[in-house]
Amino acid sequence: MNWLRVIALSFLFLLLVPILVLLYFGLGPLRTPVGYGPEVFRSVALSLVSSAVAATVDVVAFTPLAYYLARNRNRVTESLVDIPVSIPHPIIGVALLVVSSPITPTGAFLISIGINLFNSIAGLVIALVVVSAPIYVKSLQPYFESRDPSPEQFAMGLGASQLRTFFTVVLPDSSRSVISGALLAMSRGLSEFGSIAILAYYVLQSPFYGVNPASVLIYQYYSYFGLGAAVTTSVTLIVISVPLAMAVRFVRRG
Amino acid sequence: MQKRFGRFSLDAAMSEGGFVCLAGKNGSGKTTFLRIVAGLTKPDGGHVKVNGSDITRLPIEKRGVVLVTPGSSIPGMEVDEHILLGARLKRAEVSEERVATVKRELGIDFQGRVAKLSLGMCERVSLATALLAAPAGILVDEAFSNLHDREGFIASYRRLAADAGIHVVFSTQDESDGRLAEHLYTLDDGRATKRF
Repeated sequence: MNWLRVIALSFLFLLLVPILVLLYFGLGPLRTPVGYGPEVFRSVALSLVSSAVAATVDVVAFTPLAYYLARNRNRVTESLVDIPVSIPHPIIGVALLVVSSPITPTGAFLISIGINLFNSIAGLVIALVVVSAPIYVKSLQPYFESRDPSPEQFAMGLGASQLRTFFTVVLPDSSRSVISGALLAMSRGLSEFGSIAILAYYVLQSPFYGVNPASVLIYQYYSYFGLGAAVTTSVTLIVISVPLAMAVRFVRRG
Repeated sequence: MQKRFGRFSLDAAMSEGGFVCLAGKNGSGKTTFLRIVAGLTKPDGGHVKVNGSDITRLPIEKRGVVLVTPGSSIPGMEVDEHILLGARLKRAEVSEERVATVKRELGIDFQGRVAKLSLGMCERVSLATALLAAPAGILVDEAFSNLHDREGFIASYRRLAADAGIHVVFSTQDESDGRLAEHLYTLDDGRATKRF
């Protein structure tokens, strides 16, 4: 008997019990049509699109940070990266609301150049970037740390700057880890609730006018229609997001 | 130059240029010495001068010195792209004749992605890349070790480096490799001695 396996898989099972119970009741006894109606699919579409855009922003803007942290150990910078994940997410929503409020200089500036974060797709994406970027950076940093630095040091000795080395030597064979990190960031974006419930409870822009992000819609259905609708809507979101989370593993393993 | 790691201290001086052999046992300080010259490790004291210029405080990419180790090659590149990397970074022209000579002399008669090559082939590619980049100095840290025609290769490398006016320091555990060099330094427990 492999006791390590027994202990490990038992606790994994316990971790998954709430999801399995949810799937059973959502597909069976508590199934409610409103939970897989058109409004739910519009919501899921909004969450998928905004999470995908946020993950793309993470890749473009934060891959250099993950590499920088891997090659220049700096505890202060690493602690700063942890801040958005270590504070309650409603605080992020409130902070972004203040940043975009017309009563603050930042908000006045953003509005003057036509950027409104409140109940907008831009606000939704920015909130998702703030909460998913630290996860993305933390998932990619160990990969960069595990790479043999010799080729990078060689390129720098030949005259390449650290930035050039990053683009010439490191990025070309890092696509698998970057995609895996992006899928993880997208999963995190899909599951976000706290910040977007404050900043983008719904969006008021085409093609998602009046649509709530999926996590917000589940909360709203729970408040309006009760447990059955919330459970069925949750199952719809799980059926779509779990394959995404599993894809992270497959991409990483190749 | 001086460097201290816990109980180990390196206190070594090297004044000769040309083609230099640095011999010493494991843990004698060879790699630390070469990394300090390359700018990858900060010394606790002393100076690094190449062709009369003090490069001690210059960043790695501005020192004009490249460190080649057995793991230096860049796996994602094609061989021909790789060997011209240094020249491309400097936007320097390298004649086709020079490229052909270096490839022939160093036995680079293969193509393809570096990731698919054997360790010895990778060493040849890295060493050719360093030569064609025409730096002031090349530091070879055990990167002559996986070559089947080692002595012939080192002789060719010495000739090609001399033609381009490049100083080369190569580290080895075998003191008898000194016969392949113009000068031999030995390192023992962090202390360098010039043999010839």
